[in-house]
Amino acid sequence: MASSFPCSLCFLLIIVLTLLGGCFAKLLYPLPSKKNEKNRKPLQTSRPYNIAHRGSNGEFPEETSAAYTRAIEEGADFIEADVLATKDGALICFHDVTLDDITDVATHKEFADRKRTYELQGSNTTGFFTVDFTLKEIQTLRVKQRFSFRDQTYNGMYPIITFDEYISIALDATRVVGIYPEIKNPVFINQHVKWADGKRFEDKVIETLLRYGYKGSYMSKDWLQQPIFIQSFAPSSLVYISNLTNSPKVLLIDDVTVPTQDTNQSYLEITSDSYFGFIKDFVVGIGPWKETIVATKGNHLAAATDLVAKAHAHNLQVHPYTYRNEHEYLHVDFHQDPYAEYDYWVNKIGIDGLFTDFTGSLHKFQEWTSPSNKDEKSASELLSKIEALISSSHH
Amino acid sequence: MPRRCWEKALMASPLFCTLGLLAIIVLTLVNACVGRPFYPLPSKQDVENRQPIQTFRPYNIAHRGSNGELPEETAAAYMRAIEEGADFIETDILATKDGALICFHDVYLDDVTNVIHHKEFADRKRTYEVQGSNTTGFFTVDFTLEEIKTLRVNQRYKFRDQSYNGKFPIITFEEYIAIALDAPRIVGIYPEIKNPVFINEHVKWAGGKRFEDKFIETLQKYGYKGEYMSKDWLSQPIFIQSFAPTSLIYVSNLTDSPKIFLIDDVNVPTQDTNQSYSEITSDAYFNYIKQYVVGIGPWKDTVVPPMENHLTTATDLVAKAHAHDLQVHPYTYRNEFMFLHFNFRQDPYVEYDYWINKIGIDGLFTDFTGSLHNFQDWTSHSSKNKKSEV
Repeated sequence: MASSFPCSLCFLLIIVLTLLGGCFAKLLYPLPSKKNEKNRKPLQTSRPYNIAHRGSNGEFPEETSAAYTRAIEEGADFIEADVLATKDGALICFHDVTLDDITDVATHKEFADRKRTYELQGSNTTGFFTVDFTLKEIQTLRVKQRFSFRDQTYNGMYPIITFDEYISIALDATRVVGIYPEIKNPVFINQHVKWADGKRFEDKVIETLLRYGYKGSYMSKDWLQQPIFIQSFAPSSLVYISNLTNSPKVLLIDDVTVPTQDTNQSYLEITSDSYFGFIKDFVVGIGPWKETIVATKGNHLAAATDLVAKAHAHNLQVHPYTYRNEHEYLHVDFHQDPYAEYDYWVNKIGIDGLFTDFTGSLHKFQEWTSPSNKDEKSASELLSKIEALISSSHH
Repeated sequence: MPRRCWEKALMASPLFCTLGLLAIIVLTLVNACVGRPFYPLPSKQDVENRQPIQTFRPYNIAHRGSNGELPEETAAAYMRAIEEGADFIETDILATKDGALICFHDVYLDDVTNVIHHKEFADRKRTYEVQGSNTTGFFTVDFTLEEIKTLRVNQRYKFRDQSYNGKFPIITFEEYIAIALDAPRIVGIYPEIKNPVFINEHVKWAGGKRFEDKFIETLQKYGYKGEYMSKDWLSQPIFIQSFAPTSLIYVSNLTDSPKIFLIDDVNVPTQDTNQSYSEITSDAYFNYIKQYVVGIGPWKDTVVPPMENHLTTATDLVAKAHAHDLQVHPYTYRNEFMFLHFNFRQDPYVEYDYWINKIGIDGLFTDFTGSLHNFQDWTSHSSKNKKSEV
């Protein structure tokens, strides 16, 4: 009461010290994404890649941070995302060009007048398009589980995330986790969204990746530290970005009746031997729809095509999509057992990666039938194998 | 020169020729008969050479055989289950009009057979009271065994493989036992005394014998005997199951084979004693029934009740049973997602993991014995390692 001046000074001092302390503290306890990367468990490369398709969307709404965090928890090698753009050119993780199916956009009366009809890959589509919303507007929406027979309890809880946020989730993981982003609907996006300096959608995607240090050809030191596959259904996009990055690329192949959106080439053409001979200069593998690899007859498997053999002959990896646990997605040969399906594809057909909605199930299957850290466990595994041999011979 | 002599001899005597031919025939027949013991039938193989039943982890009980793949309780379903690694093949025993024991789950034939296509049986439809409610259909107790054998079984669930519909007949209790005994390794049986109240009302046997008597007679005919884990039991493992406690108590006087008391949902009273779920799962009741049974077979949703397809807190049923040295074999585990609570994220292996490792049960009735076998095989490695770490 004698003097308010020293009191204010005191107060100010406390504030300053707290701020300083805050800053120092930050330096002493680095953010997870700045931890020494050498200590992180590396990506496994001894067995087919477990690619969490849209995150663990069997359990959480697809492409949300929860779905990706869960996928990493469950052992995914890669977390997969579709990249689209907003009206103001921001890159977001979202699968559909329209927001209708898996967001609550219909309940947002402020957006009621945004409904449009556009031509998309040859047919007219009506809905609320991401390219008509700014990033800020999109972030007011909430995502819901796409399939009615999956867990609905997380509906309305999570927003759409940006490409940057998705990358951070991967880089912040406690072990090395790869990303697998798709340049989605590039023809449509480039029609509706314009960037400064004449940049295209593909330029912005690669810019983001380079900003976070993604570089290096497949299996290089750089790649193993930050694994990535860039995927697209549009071959010209993949060819275009080959000039911008040496990160490995994968050509996605749709069903037999669907031509490529950019070059209008048929399934037959882009799976021909000569096409593989051409595209292999730009991609390290293909991502076909699994029903085109092994024909089916009335929900039974029929004969496998030679697609995998052809691809492998050109040193192209094969990462089919999409594996799901629900019995309606499983052919009767697998007797409603998703692990029987994994077994068939991994051990009989011999593919190199799998896009799965249930990364946890694939991880269990792989761990139980071909554990990853072979070097660490090999001695004790050998001992247990001997033990098993001895005890079985007693019978 | 020698040939000419031979030819001469033949031409000289047709009798000689005939005798020779006869000798060849006789020798071939003798050879065929004598030759058989050198290649014994599988069911006569030295039982001691067969791989024994596993007893170190929960029992894999193929519920109605591999009915996820093949029509339930058919020979094909049972053989497939044995192929896939089942410890026990499970069945429901009912009776026909002429007192034969068959493997079939429903008291009526409508749901899983083609009986409605058999015009000769069109007049057999009846309405009977079954466990307190009127049921209309074609009842097994109104058909002789011969008639039942003309029917063919279908896959019960639309969403399972329909391509074996109409191919397999209903089998008898004895045929089922033969499948188990003929297996290349030791496979246990797990027959249920099904709807005994109803069966005893509708079927009468000679000598005042009851359904339960005929059931046990059949088992004893094939040498099933011995307490749980006895030498006899291990060479022919068996659990006798029933929802009707009086049937189990009754057969206790006839056989020392181990018995399992099945428990229905919380709102279903016992068909014979009309006791409630609360009563038959009480500590006092377990203390009583444990003199007669070695375990209980509850419906799994009563052990861990679900709410909106998510698991809630487990009840103390397992702990109570284990406190009385009663095994717990819940039913029924199925791979299809609508039978899996969301906690298991549509992964039947996660469900097996939960029940075996968290809840700690002693056996599982599963429609997908192959999946359970995979799970146990693939994960028992790690558990074996833990045990051997001295």
